[in-house]
Amino acid sequence: MAADTSFIDFSRPFVDACKNIFTTMVSCNLEAQKPQIKSDSTSRGDITAVIGLSGELEKGGKKTPYKAMLVLAFPYETYFKVASVMLSETYTTYHPDIQDLGGEIVNMIMGNAKRDLKNLGYSSNMAIPSIIEGKGHSIKYPAGTTVVLIPFDSPNGPLYMELCYSTAE
Amino acid sequence: MTLKADIKILIVDDMTTMRKIIKNMLTQIGFTNITEADDGAVAWPMIQNAIKEGSPYEFIVSDWNMPQMSGLDLLKNVRATEGLEKLPFLMITAEAEQGNVVIAVKAGVSNFIVKPFSPQVLKEKIDKIFK
Repeated sequence: MAADTSFIDFSRPFVDACKNIFTTMVSCNLEAQKPQIKSDSTSRGDITAVIGLSGELEKGGKKTPYKAMLVLAFPYETYFKVASVMLSETYTTYHPDIQDLGGEIVNMIMGNAKRDLKNLGYSSNMAIPSIIEGKGHSIKYPAGTTVVLIPFDSPNGPLYMELCYSTAE
Repeated sequence: MTLKADIKILIVDDMTTMRKIIKNMLTQIGFTNITEADDGAVAWPMIQNAIKEGSPYEFIVSDWNMPQMSGLDLLKNVRATEGLEKLPFLMITAEAEQGNVVIAVKAGVSNFIVKPFSPQVLKEKIDKIFK
């Protein structure tokens, strides 16, 4: 992305949507920590939900295709606590009942963010979310993109949002 | 709740966790007769069979985006079927754009919820449908 301010504009809808989802459905507030550039591909969590986004940015009468990816990584403990609250049952292992929860959360974040991105000039199409599970797994990022890591603190433990973005320019 | 607790409800969502969340919320509200389907393509024959068996569903709660048959297509099938023109149909979607609401309203949706939502919001939407 050309300038930091553009990235802040682009990332804000995702951060706001994530906070909204946790307040509404997990009954807890997320506190965003300082964003940082991520230079490796190792997930900061044990369960990682990934969803792609593509579309066009319209600015000054010019349309530029773009691609983006949203990642939400949960340590096991955080994931189990969040699942326990959302599903009103206690989970302490990676049970089949909760395998798609991360995907549902990123789906909600992306769906909510789309509305605000539209106001910033981005048209967008969501992909289908996927989940990666296991200690120390890596994430495959689109080539040539900068990955920004936004850690969150919550009463259920930490979680980590990552955003990467590239244009066809 | 003024509604009967045992009205026959069908939840349609391809995500296991969201079906469970919605079922928990409906149970909290007081409903007891809840069945699930994991796609519109699974739900549609269930709705048709329930009519044939003389025990039709009385309320459909459906996700919009599903892999085989979307909630919108399920809604269109329901509305095109004699006797189901007014079947209460609540659409749930992750996509918050206004355009989606307009499309769903034109297709005859009874009400519309954007995720995330609380049990209170779900109850308010249901109350509006059945008022």
